Amino acid sequence: MKTLTKTATLAAALWFGSALVPASAHHSFAMFDFGKVVTISGSVKEFQWTNPHVILWVDAAAAGADPAAAWSLEMTSPGNLTRGGWDRHALNAGDKVSVDLNPLRNGSHGGALINVRNLTTGKSFTTNLRDVEKPGLK
Amino acid sequence: MTVRHATAWVGLLLAALGALPASAENDPQLNLPPTPKDWAALASLPDWSGVWTPYISDQNARIKSDPTPWLPAVAKQIQAMDDAEAAGHPRGLFIDCLPEGMPSWMLISHNALEFLFTPGRVTLLGEMDGNRLRRIYTDGRGHPPDPDPTFHGHSIGHWEGATLVVDTIGVLPESLIAISEAAGVPNNGDLHVIEHIHLQGADLLHDDLEIIAPHVLARPWKTTRIYFRQRARKYDIVEGVCLQGSMSERKDEFGNAVFVPVPQEDGNPVPPK
Repeated sequence: MKTLTKTATLAAALWFGSALVPASAHHSFAMFDFGKVVTISGSVKEFQWTNPHVILWVDAAAAGADPAAAWSLEMTSPGNLTRGGWDRHALNAGDKVSVDLNPLRNGSHGGALINVRNLTTGKSFTTNLRDVEKPGLK
Repeated sequence: MTVRHATAWVGLLLAALGALPASAENDPQLNLPPTPKDWAALASLPDWSGVWTPYISDQNARIKSDPTPWLPAVAKQIQAMDDAEAAGHPRGLFIDCLPEGMPSWMLISHNALEFLFTPGRVTLLGEMDGNRLRRIYTDGRGHPPDPDPTFHGHSIGHWEGATLVVDTIGVLPESLIAISEAAGVPNNGDLHVIEHIHLQGADLLHDDLEIIAPHVLARPWKTTRIYFRQRARKYDIVEGVCLQGSMSERKDEFGNAVFVPVPQEDGNPVPPK
C-alpha cells in the first residue's frame, strides 16, 4: 500500500511538473501533531489559494531532514484566511520564507501552518481560527 | 332526493365555489404572491442579519459534555474512528465534497452561514458548497406524506416568540450524524430533527437540536451549537467550491485555461518524499 502511494505520488509529481499534488476536500487536522512546532526555511514552490484548504508548497530544509525537500503546509479556506489579513498574493513562487508549523504525525514533509514570514516582501501572516471565536470582529 | 333537487344543490354548490376568492386554503398547491402586509411582517421578526461564524472550540468540547447516545454497535464504530484519528490517520468523512447535510452541517461546520427571511420562508445559506442550503417553510404547510429523501430533508418551521422552531424529516439515510470531520455514521433512515433556533445575546445565536435517529441512537440526542454574529464586510460569505481543491489549473493543447483533476490519497496532500 505504501509503495503504491509512493509510486502514485511520484507519477503525479512528474505528470504535473513543478506544481505538486494539491490537497482537497474536508479532512481532519488530527493528522498533525499540535504538541510539536517545527520551523523550516526555504523558497515558495507554489501557493495554492483554493478551497477547501489553502496549501503552501515550500522547497525547504529542516534540521536533520533532506535538504531542499518539498514541504506542504496546510491552512484553512481562502475565505477564512482573507479575514485574517491574507490574500492570494501573500506568497508567490520564489519568495523566501520562514514557516512555523505543527508537523504531520507520520513524519513526512508536511504540516499545519502556524505562521509564515515572507522574507522577500517583509510581510508576516498567521492563521488561527480559534482566536476569532467571538462576535463583532473587525 | 329527486334529480331536480340534487341538480339544484350541485348548482348552488358550484355557484358558491365560483364566488369564493382563490386563496391558499382553497388551493394548497400554489405559492401565492406575498402581499405588502407579508413583507411588512418580516420587520417584526428578530434580527438574524449578518454572517454567523460557528464556535468551533465549543463543538469540540461538547463531544465530551453532550455525549452522543450511540447504540452499542455504533459506539464501537465511533471508537475505531477515534482510535484512527489519535494515531494520526483520521477517516475523512467529507472528502467526497458532498453536502454535509442534516444534521452534520449544524453540528460540525467550520464555515459561516447566513439566514434570509422572505415571506413564508427562512433560508439558510452555507459558506462552502459542502454546507449548501436549507429551505425552512414557515407558511403553515405540513410535511409532504412521502418526500423524496434529500441531504437537508424537508423542513417546516414556525415562530414561538423570537424562537424559530424547525421540524425536519425526509433526510437521505446516507446523510451523516458527525461529531467531527473524522467521526460519525450515516443516520440509516427515519431521521427526525427538531430545532429551536434563537438569539442568546445581541450577537450570539443558539441552535438547540434534538436529533432522533432510531437506527443509530439509543434515545433522542439533545445538544446545542453556537454562532457569533459578524457585521464586518470582510466576513461577507464568499464562494467556496469544495471540489476545486481536487483540480489543478493548467492549459490544454489550445492554450485554454482548464481544470485537470489530480490523484490524491484520502483527500490529503501527499508531499513527495
